[in-house]
Parts: sequence; C-alpha cells; structure tokens
Amino acid sequence: MPQFEELRQAIIDGKAPVAKELTEKMLKEGVRPGEFFPNAIIPAMDEVGRRMRECEFFIPEVLIAARAARASSDILRPLLVGDEAMTAAGTVVCGTVKGDLHDIGKNIVAMMLESAGFKIVDLGVDVSADKIVDAVRQNNANLVAMSALLTTTMVNMKSVVEALTAAGLRDKVKIMVGGAPVTDTWAHSIGADGYGKDAPAAVELARQLVAA
Amino acid sequence: MPEKPTHRITLKPVQVELTAPAGTALRDLLFAQGVEFPCGGQGRCRGCRVHVLEGHASVNDAQRERLSPEEIASGWRLACQCVLEDDLVIELRQWDAAILVDETPFAFEPRAGLGVAVDLGTTTLVTQLLDLGTGRVLAVRTALNSQARFGADVMSRVQFGVPKEGARQLRELIRQQIGSLIEQLVFAARVSEGEIQDVVVVGNTVMHHLFCGLDVEPLSRYPFVSSQLGLQIFRGGDLGWKLSPEARVRFLPCLGGFVGSDILAGILATNLSERDELNGLVDLGTNGEIVMGNRQRILCASTAAGPAFEGARISMGMRAATGAISEVRVQDHSVNCRVLGNVPPQGLCGSGLVDAVAAGLELGRIQPSGRFADGAGPWELAPPVVLTQSDIRELQLAKGAIAAGIRMLLDRFGSTAGDLKKLYLAGAFGNYINRASAQRIGLINFPSEKVEAAGNTALLGAKLALFRPEGEDGSFARLRSRIEHVALNADQGFQDTFVEEMAFPQSTYA
Repeated sequence: MPQFEELRQAIIDGKAPVAKELTEKMLKEGVRPGEFFPNAIIPAMDEVGRRMRECEFFIPEVLIAARAARASSDILRPLLVGDEAMTAAGTVVCGTVKGDLHDIGKNIVAMMLESAGFKIVDLGVDVSADKIVDAVRQNNANLVAMSALLTTTMVNMKSVVEALTAAGLRDKVKIMVGGAPVTDTWAHSIGADGYGKDAPAAVELARQLVAA
Repeated sequence: MPEKPTHRITLKPVQVELTAPAGTALRDLLFAQGVEFPCGGQGRCRGCRVHVLEGHASVNDAQRERLSPEEIASGWRLACQCVLEDDLVIELRQWDAAILVDETPFAFEPRAGLGVAVDLGTTTLVTQLLDLGTGRVLAVRTALNSQARFGADVMSRVQFGVPKEGARQLRELIRQQIGSLIEQLVFAARVSEGEIQDVVVVGNTVMHHLFCGLDVEPLSRYPFVSSQLGLQIFRGGDLGWKLSPEARVRFLPCLGGFVGSDILAGILATNLSERDELNGLVDLGTNGEIVMGNRQRILCASTAAGPAFEGARISMGMRAATGAISEVRVQDHSVNCRVLGNVPPQGLCGSGLVDAVAAGLELGRIQPSGRFADGAGPWELAPPVVLTQSDIRELQLAKGAIAAGIRMLLDRFGSTAGDLKKLYLAGAFGNYINRASAQRIGLINFPSEKVEAAGNTALLGAKLALFRPEGEDGSFARLRSRIEHVALNADQGFQDTFVEEMAFPQSTYA
C-alpha cells in the first residue's frame, strides 16, 4: 500500500505532524490499527536503526524519528483490541539504575522497542532495584532493560539482578543491559542475559530474548 | 644539505636554558616550558610578549600592530610571532609581575619569603614558585598528574578512590608528586625549602577530596553532593614535604558538585564577582565548567563534555604535543594544516578537531546534522591523519554539553548571548582553540569580540590567594556563599537542550 510507504518516510524524516495526519486519514479509510505496526512503524524504525548504526543518523535524528513514530502509535494503541492487542512482542520494564541520571540513551532504546511492538514500562532515572522488582511483578513483564552511563553506577545493575533473583522472578524475566561503560563481559559477569551496544542492537537482542 | 645551525635560548627570570634548530617557532619552545599564549598564538593579544635582552628576533606586521615603536626599539617582541634565528636571552612578561587576566596589576602587601601556587588538574599539574615580596615568578614546573594511570577522567578516579586502599594510594601519589615538584622548583630557583611560607592548591572537587584525604563516595552517585567542600589547611610537616613545619598549605574550597576551587580561582582572576555587567567563564575540559555572573549573583555548573577536546575517543586523536595537527584552515576549497613541532602529522588534537569540523562545514563536506555530505568519510586532512564520521559525533556530544550548559545558565538570568559582556575561556584548550571555529561549530555561540582567552585562570587565582594577607580566608567563605551551584543533570530541560545543541549551526554569523 503506497500510504504505508508515505508513513514510513514521514517517520524516518522525523515529521511528527505528517505521521499523525496520515495515520488518522488511513484509519478513516478503513486500515486496521494492527496493520500499521508491521507495515509502517516497525520497518521505519528498523530503517532508523540501520541509519544510526551506519552513523548516518545521530541522537537528534533518531529522537525526532522516534517522536514521529510515537505520534502515530499513540493514536493506534487505544484502538488495538481483541486479537490485535495480543500482538505486543513483550512487556519491558526499563530504567536508568540508582545513582545515575542519564536518560537519553535509555529513552532512545525505549522508543525503539516501543516502535518494534513492545509494551514499555519506563521507570525513568535513578531507579532502585526494589522499584524494578515491583514493576516487573505488577506488569507481568518478561524483559528488564537497564542503563548506566557511569562506571560508578553500573555496579548497581548487579543489585537489580540479585533483587530479581531474591524475589523469585529471575526465571520469569530476561535481563538486558546497556550504556557507555557496559560491555558484554560485564553483562555476563553480573548474570544478565545480554548486552546491547546501541539501540538497534538492543531491539535485536530483545527480539531474540523473548523468542528464546 | 648542510644541517641547520642550533641556537641557545636563555629564559629569565627563571634561568632555563634550551637549544633548538634555527627556524623553530619560539611559541613551540616556550609552550613546552609552561608559557601561555592567550590568543592561541595568533598575534592578537600581548599576552606572550617577551623582552629580548640579547640576540636578534625579527619584527613582523602583527608585532608592529600590537607593540609601540618604543617597545619594539627597546626589544619587546610577541613570542608567538618569532622564529629562532639567533642565540637569545629573553625575559618573559608573563612571569614578571602580578597581573590579572585583563593585565591590570593586583594590589598586594609585599612580605618576606616565598610561595607556591599549584593548579592541580585531573590531567595536568602546574606549579609556580613566587617571591612574595615582588610578585615575580621564580620557577615553573609542570607535569602530568600521576594519578592518571588509574583513570583519565574524574569519574574513573572516583571509582578507584571509593575503596579506602584506592583512596590512600591516590592521595599518596599526588602528595608525593607535588612535593617533588616543589623540590624541583626550589632547586631551579637556587633557594631553600625553608623559605617557603605559603602554598595554595586549587583543583576540582575530586582532586580536592583525593588530595585532602576526604571520602569520594558521595561523588560517585546522584546527587553528587559532598558535605566536605570547605577550605582545608595543612602545615608543612603534615604532607611529608620538605617545608618548614610552620609553612601553611591551603587547598581552597570547592563550589559544589564537581565544581572546585580551580573555578573559584578563575572567578578571582577574572574579577567576575565585582562587575556590574554579566560575564561568563568557561573551562573547556573533560568536565566543562561554566560560570555566569555579576556583582549581584553568580551561578556555576559543570557538564560532562567527555574527553573529545583532549583527543580521546577520536580515531586519530592525541594531546596537543609534537606531531598533532593543531590548526586547520580553509584555503582554495581545500584545507591547510599546521602541525605542532614542524614534523609530519601524526594525529589531531582538540583545537585541530574543532578547526577541522568548522572547515568541513565551511566547505560543505559536513552537513549541519554532522553527517558527511558524501555519506562516506573518512576525510583525509593531511596524510595519514583523517577525520571520521564517529569523530564528528564525539565532538557533537562534547560541544552539545557545553553549549547547553551555557544556555541553561543564561536562561536562569533571563538573559541571552547578546546580554553577556565577555566570555572568558580558561585553561590550555581555551588558549589554543580558534574562536571563529568554536563559533562556527556552535560550541561558543558568541561573536569573537566577546570571547577572550584568559589563560590558566586557576593558577592565576591561586597566586592571588597567595598574596592575600594572613587571616583573610574569610573572604573565600564570603565569595563562596555568593556562588550558587546549579545541578544541570537534575534539570529535565537540560537533556532537551543538550540534544538541540548537538547539531551544527546552519551558517556563520559573519
């Protein structure tokens, strides 16, 4: 459908008002809400991820593209009912760990996961292990995504893994970590399930972890 | 081909002797000795002027513009404009007298004895031995901070210093290193340690805590607030230094968060707190510190710019040393690079990086989004040195953080760039960065005439503190109580402003 192509392009170009307008118009014309994700929003954000990886897009371009994707998905989500509502790829509890206030990277990952069809519970920054445990329980989440930008705060990721284990939730959730000082080795050493080196990698990882 | 003759240069009053081949830029030789070039060695200020006592140094147009005929006739030259063509004996104005950033002399009561001013930087240490009677510099020694092997930036230093053993190790390293620099100063000036009355040390909050033996754990996590920011006083014997037991060693108080006494010293040196108009002071380092203020109100903040300005995380980045491309200029639709030390290029230092991106924007090779216009890169500046796409991204992060910090503080005054009288750039990088390039990339969004390179204001402020008579420490407390620290990281608006400031301006102001 050529309109999907138009919407994809509007998202990639970061044109939120255009994305919103197109979504409303297509809904009026009878396009089913569930069709937007596989045909426009997810492929658009995959393309944004590809461009980010190839250094073509940087933080500002990714953020405005994600904002445009959200302009579309905000209209669609309340309309997803019945079978379509079940299509969420998974529920992710995300946040920046205790002691750390960096949220740009975490926000990009959250927005890209959301565009990829995940339900997001974003706890914000300076998030304690207890808060993450509570959110996992309340939302019946199957993924936890944590970020830390400081070498002094990344140790708090370990406390979260431990708290989830102590709460008896460790086998119900997969844990992924990211942030500038974080590495794959670190992820494994604290007992996390994976490390995403950037937002596109995080989306890929999330897909693999929920499929496993 | 016959070898170039070498010449001997004697520096007064510190009595340093150097030899170098004819044709060597005097600027490169003196830079290595700790001499500052406030305008970046472009012949635009008089900060590096020297008095040639013996030997010949030619005069060019830039010098004729800045020096009077009488000055030229009596042997004054701008060091940045001279190349070595004869044996020289020169006297450095910079080391001669007690002067402020704007070259006004500061009043002090002469007293007997010697003093030492120490700028304890995360990366670099600068120490000066001073005659407390005349204000003259007797010797200068610089070194790389020996703690650097345990991490280049303040956060990794904090991480290492949270455990008691790590803290002890870092404390001893830095105390020993400053102690040995003081021994070198004393040796160079042919005086004795016993004559030293007073030592003033300035540095950021982490350096302050590590030197003084205070717990850095509160600095490791949000809200990054330590309760031990005050003035710390030691006696000569306390630190294992070869000073008389009564000698006083003061580490000046911090301002809040990571903003330390180096910035307090900068406020003293620029006299920012005593002026009616709004002025700013920016120290471009790994932690960019920003001050905005006037007689009524002073705000300060720090913002993690990352190490891009120091050449770290840049694919061919290096410090401003021999072999570094330090300047890049557009010439006939191409670029022309200046390499420090007149050797083949090996890498790119901070000022070269800023210039290169400014040149790329000017030539249309780099788009305002930061993307290479041809989509590819890397861009060969001077073989084998290249600029890559991810280098530009690192610079965008660094400059975005600083520009956002400046904007946020101006906002709190309800002011815009136009309301600012002057913006002082502190620190070594502030000396070398080309102001037009800094403006072109949107790092310093002020017209060049408002931006002034202020040199090492931390050291200058430490010197000022040294010359304040005994018992005036209360004045630091008073000044400090007038300075408000703003925690930018806790301000939600900061992240949005930061992202906005990552892009490059569309076109120049000029």
